[in-house]
Amino acid sequence: MQAFNYKFQQLEPLKSFKRVPVPEMYVPGHRTCAGCGPALNYRLVAKAAGKETIFIGPTGCMYVANSSYLCTPYAVSWIHAQITNGGAVASGIEAAFKVAARKGRNTGVFPNIIVMAGDGGSVDIGLQAMSGMMYRNHKVLFICYDNESYANTGIQTSPTTPYGAKTTFTPPGKEIPEGKVLFPKDPPQLVIGGHPAVKYVATTTIAHPLDLMNKVRKALSQPGPTFLHMLATCPKGWLFPEHLTKEMARLAVETGMWTLYEWENGTYKYTNVPKKYKPVNEYMKHQGRFAHLKPEHIAKMQAFVDEKIKNVKQAIAVAAPVPTARQKA
Amino acid sequence: MAKELIMTGCRAAAEGAKAAEVEVICSFPIRPYTAIMMELAKMVADGELNAEFIHGEGEHAQLSVVLGAAASGARAYTGSSGVGVTYAMEIYSPMAGGRYPAQMAIADRTLDPPGDFGSEHTDAMCTRDQGWLLGWADSPQEVYDNTLINYRVGEDHRVMLPQMVCQEGYFVSHIPDKVILGDQSQVKKFLPPYRPIGPLSTTKPVSHGPQIRPDQGAPMDAMRAAVFLDVPKVIEEATADFNRIFGRNYDPFVDQYKLADAEIAFFVMGAHANTCRKAVDRLRKQGVKAGMARLRWVRPWPTHQLANALGHVKAIGVVETSTSYGGAMRGGNLIHELRASLYDLDQRPLVTSFMAGLGGETIWPADFDYMAKVLTEMVKEKKTKRYVYWIGM
Repeated sequence: MQAFNYKFQQLEPLKSFKRVPVPEMYVPGHRTCAGCGPALNYRLVAKAAGKETIFIGPTGCMYVANSSYLCTPYAVSWIHAQITNGGAVASGIEAAFKVAARKGRNTGVFPNIIVMAGDGGSVDIGLQAMSGMMYRNHKVLFICYDNESYANTGIQTSPTTPYGAKTTFTPPGKEIPEGKVLFPKDPPQLVIGGHPAVKYVATTTIAHPLDLMNKVRKALSQPGPTFLHMLATCPKGWLFPEHLTKEMARLAVETGMWTLYEWENGTYKYTNVPKKYKPVNEYMKHQGRFAHLKPEHIAKMQAFVDEKIKNVKQAIAVAAPVPTARQKA
Repeated sequence: MAKELIMTGCRAAAEGAKAAEVEVICSFPIRPYTAIMMELAKMVADGELNAEFIHGEGEHAQLSVVLGAAASGARAYTGSSGVGVTYAMEIYSPMAGGRYPAQMAIADRTLDPPGDFGSEHTDAMCTRDQGWLLGWADSPQEVYDNTLINYRVGEDHRVMLPQMVCQEGYFVSHIPDKVILGDQSQVKKFLPPYRPIGPLSTTKPVSHGPQIRPDQGAPMDAMRAAVFLDVPKVIEEATADFNRIFGRNYDPFVDQYKLADAEIAFFVMGAHANTCRKAVDRLRKQGVKAGMARLRWVRPWPTHQLANALGHVKAIGVVETSTSYGGAMRGGNLIHELRASLYDLDQRPLVTSFMAGLGGETIWPADFDYMAKVLTEMVKEKKTKRYVYWIGM
């Protein structure tokens, strides 16, 4: 096929909060819970991306709570996708805009095409569609807003729910005292490990808004598929007070439960690395989902996190955590 | 200039898609429809067709890709067979309910178990209540023609629905036959460019598919149903235009063969009609007043047209090539809807069904002779003794 010069957008980094665009692309009028992390996440992503954007919203909290009663809070175009197929619907949209540009039907800039999927819609039931999109080199930013559970359906475990968390599908009991016995998937490593077309992957949290917005803008300025993994804390699912939404995300980074990094063309760059990590219990003790855990379970979590952050200072990939089999503590 | 060539149904479908200048194509391999995508891939590779050819990671993705493309204003095309059709099941309702008029080519195939490559209508028939247009062709020529007619009907602003253009696996998809390809000026005259309603756009922001309250559900379902009241008129207009521009002679809904004075009739779908016509001719020579009605659209179901075409017949044999396990007549699907279509007539024909052509088996002329015998006895005894006869056991 003849090379065609699509008018892809280049979004400059925001040097400070003063440079953050004022217009909101995710506006009030939705029904998310008090203290909702994903809603704040959406607002920051939309603000960073700007007007020339199309969102694909697979089923999840950010579908059900945002678009109730035929109203939506999007000031840009948005389309619902099934929880299964965000990546595939985005592929079709991107392809349509490419043909339209080639045929001269659309002469403006190429839209930012962003899939805003939960953890289930990204790395569980949505994994196949996400992977297909990335393999095929579509110019799409796939964001996993990770609230570490199927929250919209009433807090069931997902592949990113941490070890030891209580969910309605992993209730602690006499036989299974930890609640969840499995350790989570690692979404960015899933993407990096097997998708050569992806050149930019990063992690961020809602407690680091400038970092988050700049990663969105950098991802959108790449010519191909990109992936962002965002920690979107969930008071209702994790059982912590609503006013601690940002605090939980900050503590996740300070304890090593979450690491902030960029991966660009094979090179890792870690940021916000604490001089000394706080013990994981500093993070876990605020959250009712971990309240049932015994000291040995917390020790197991600490060992998992220690292994994960071992190589962070050398800026190499996080080590794959080991234990996954069901076992009594 | 129109061209006359010899080609398979798969090639004819690809030629139809090319004539329609489809813009986003999404493939996944499964026999026997695969050849349609092989043909299109080559057309794109050779620069004959300016389209995005996307390798979907499965049929579910194929449907999702064309949904996104149609929502963004591109004419989109995909296809499948057999268990591929059912793997995509989640997406049929969102496609139709979202009013995305993409097209899906089906070369039909049995469902598992066990694995079988043979033709059967069961795969696409599973989707019949999801709000798509749906119908079978009886020849490669009709596959080409239906591809264009379906885009025209589906993209009409009174309709805006996805279309399933079906042909029988192997019987049509892989057996070459004469096909007249239209001149591109004829195609342009018949099929206007796709004009999406409220497509995804950066200049006019829209929201597609927000949630509703339960009490908003019933009016929306009623709207989806009401569209199908308008579709027959649009099909009639499109068929008339097609016949005029391309010089064909299609009945919009029911292909009728020697029905006018028939006492017994076969009710068939797809290429089995070709054998059936010969069987009717032979039966006529033997003095049996046989006729045939071939259904061109399963959705919309032509209720009144069927009542008009078949109301005067004494006994009808529905030739079923799909299964409805545990259904009202314990056989296939078509008999339910045909009997319902005839129910309000003062004088109802007797109706039974023949399970034939399952697993990809040929329906032989002798099978039609047997069916005629059963139907003749029904006429004589003025009674439907059984609702279903299994052929080829």
